[in-house]
Amino acid sequence: MKEAIIIENKALGADYFLISLKWALAPKVRPGQFVMLRVTGSMDPLLRRPFSVYNTDGDTVELLYKVVGKGTTILSSLNPGDDVDLLGPLGKGFSIPGGMLGKSRLLMVAGGVGIAPFYHLGRSIKDSDCDNLLIYGARTKRDTVVVKPFKDIGVKIKIATEDGSRGTKGLVTGLLESEMHCGDIVYACGPSLMLKAVAEMAEDKGVRCLVSLERAMACGIGVCLGCALRTVSHRPGRVLKDDRTYQMVCSDGPVFDSRDVDWDKI
Amino acid sequence: MKKTEKAKAIAKKPSTGIVLGKGSRALRLSSPVMTASGTFGYGLEFSPYMKLEKLGAICVKGLSLRPREGNPPPRTVETPCGMLNAIGLQNVGVDVFIDSKLPKLRKYKTKVIANIFGETASEYAELAKRLDDAKGVHALEINISCPNVKKGGMAFGTDPKEAARVVRAVRAVTGKHVMTKLSPNVTDIRVMARAVEDAGSDSISLINTLTGMAIDINKRRPVLTTKIGGLSGPAIKPVALRMVWEAAGVVKIPVVGIGGIVTAEDAIEFLLAGASAVQVGTANFLTPNASEKVADGIAAYMKKHNIGSVRKLVGALN
Ligand SMILES: Cc1cc2nc3c(=O)[nH]c(=O)nc-3n(C[C@H](O)[C@H](O)[C@H](O)COP(=O)(O)OP(=O)(O)OC[C@H]3O[C@@H](n4cnc5c(N)ncnc54)[C@H](O)[C@@H]3O)c2cc1C
Ligand SMILES: Cc1cc2nc3c(=O)[nH]c(=O)nc-3n(C[C@H](O)[C@H](O)[C@H](O)COP(=O)(O)O)c2cc1C
Ligand code: FES
Repeated sequence: MKEAIIIENKALGADYFLISLKWALAPKVRPGQFVMLRVTGSMDPLLRRPFSVYNTDGDTVELLYKVVGKGTTILSSLNPGDDVDLLGPLGKGFSIPGGMLGKSRLLMVAGGVGIAPFYHLGRSIKDSDCDNLLIYGARTKRDTVVVKPFKDIGVKIKIATEDGSRGTKGLVTGLLESEMHCGDIVYACGPSLMLKAVAEMAEDKGVRCLVSLERAMACGIGVCLGCALRTVSHRPGRVLKDDRTYQMVCSDGPVFDSRDVDWDKI
Repeated sequence: MKKTEKAKAIAKKPSTGIVLGKGSRALRLSSPVMTASGTFGYGLEFSPYMKLEKLGAICVKGLSLRPREGNPPPRTVETPCGMLNAIGLQNVGVDVFIDSKLPKLRKYKTKVIANIFGETASEYAELAKRLDDAKGVHALEINISCPNVKKGGMAFGTDPKEAARVVRAVRAVTGKHVMTKLSPNVTDIRVMARAVEDAGSDSISLINTLTGMAIDINKRRPVLTTKIGGLSGPAIKPVALRMVWEAAGVVKIPVVGIGGIVTAEDAIEFLLAGASAVQVGTANFLTPNASEKVADGIAAYMKKHNIGSVRKLVGALN
């Protein structure tokens, strides 16, 4: 854990904020990893809060967050120069399954604030000739807070809003139906029901799918055993290396192969 | 430096060492600070964040005879200045612990305390037997107080006769230091403390978590799948402190204080209330090196107040 100093804490509208922090460990973060943030010295809220890393640049780390409760409300009130405590980088992050980079199209699927880890991932493949598409689902146009940054780094993007105020009307799964093709590799992050639907579709189409999951977390480093995820270990033709029924989202994930998740118990 | 000056300098450095218990079963700690079971994994997970050697001992996650998968999620929920957990004692089982975790832990100078949990008194005894031969386990902590499992656990922790039965069963099969961890979910902690002392426990540790509950008002359902969980963190500190003070007043064996300790000041309160040592729990989640900071802070306090030995703080209320 290391102190991080706020450089900027910018409101993007619709309760979204982009916070930039000076943090010595920023260069160590790999796409899909997260940090546990604690407002320095706070006893209430007591626990750290997990946030995906949106971007890193030298010793700067950026987080995209949505104000939903106590912790994020306090975070949104902090100013440049204030410090927070960051633990990380944590988790396994996105990995490109062996040999698939360059051959497969990277199909990113984001729901709401689930967009956060994809900017870092998008930047990491910027200089490869990896074909890509980001499908971004949000409630309304106002909630699509980070479209331009993706365009600027050459990520192709298609949007679905529930009310049709931007892009296609409906859920991401509607768009995906026609966009998911054999040979794609899917990375999805968002509400668990969305992930479940994406995983089912990927399975039907025989497409490899990785999902980034969320769980309430106390420690973030695999010791409290609080963030348990039920996994399926003995599917026909597939035996996990490690056949524990429960895996920890913080240390075994947060990115999992969608076939390993017990979606009935999500 | 001349010899005498060197000796003086050494003499001036406050001694944080403390011995729990007597004779062959004495547990010699280099610091009164340990980490609490279930909040520090098997210890190794924390080596990137702190010097494990700064700790008197590490209490590892509760061990059962066979691996346990634990409760369905959600298993934790935050509460004001605290948290509820219902992990359900997920653990690798005693054999995997001995074969694969312990050898790595042995490399550190810190003492290792194995926290054990059984569903019957004979299961506790079997666990104690297996750990009795294990090199690198310095003491056993009998967990008779876990609120998160259906059988065993807290049933033993709320009935003085049952508690004594478990302690006797363990005592009979091990030559190691036996620490019994008490549940706060009782009417009179003094009765429990005396019962386990009489049954042959070398020390007692308290408190385990207090039972508690949280409800999701939108779903109109308890947040935890087990409905009830164990409350820990700063929220429970005043209760823990009171119970440690009460227990220390009625037993002769050493008392280890646990509950909501985040800072050295918290730990010193427990020492003054009569604890000979402390365990840091939930605070390890807030800052992975919390226990190291508590240990350093106690040493700094002793230096500042010219206290030569940590023993001088134990029960030293005016
Ligand atoms: C690995 C991981 C990465 C995450 N990345 C991001 C991110 O990049 N940006 C972002 O805005 N959020 C992210 N989250 C979710 C974020 O951690 C929660 O929104 C945050 O903890 C809420 O804190 P709070 O104190 O404001 O809300 P609380 O007051 O704690 O809770 C308010 C409401 O939010 C719900 N909630 C709390 N924690 C979570 C959680 N972990 N998942 C789902 N719902 C929750 C509560 O049930 C409650 O209904 C991530 C979570 C995980 C596990
Ligand atoms: C997530 C979690 C898991 C725990 N697991 C165990 C356990 O396996 N055995 C045990 O004796 N106590 C267990 N405890 C209780 C703690 O060791 C400690 O007694 C309690 O949390 C109070 O201390 P604290 O307020 O400093 O956390 C656990 C506590 C927490 C929060
Ligand atoms: S949050 Fe503690 S194990 Fe994952």
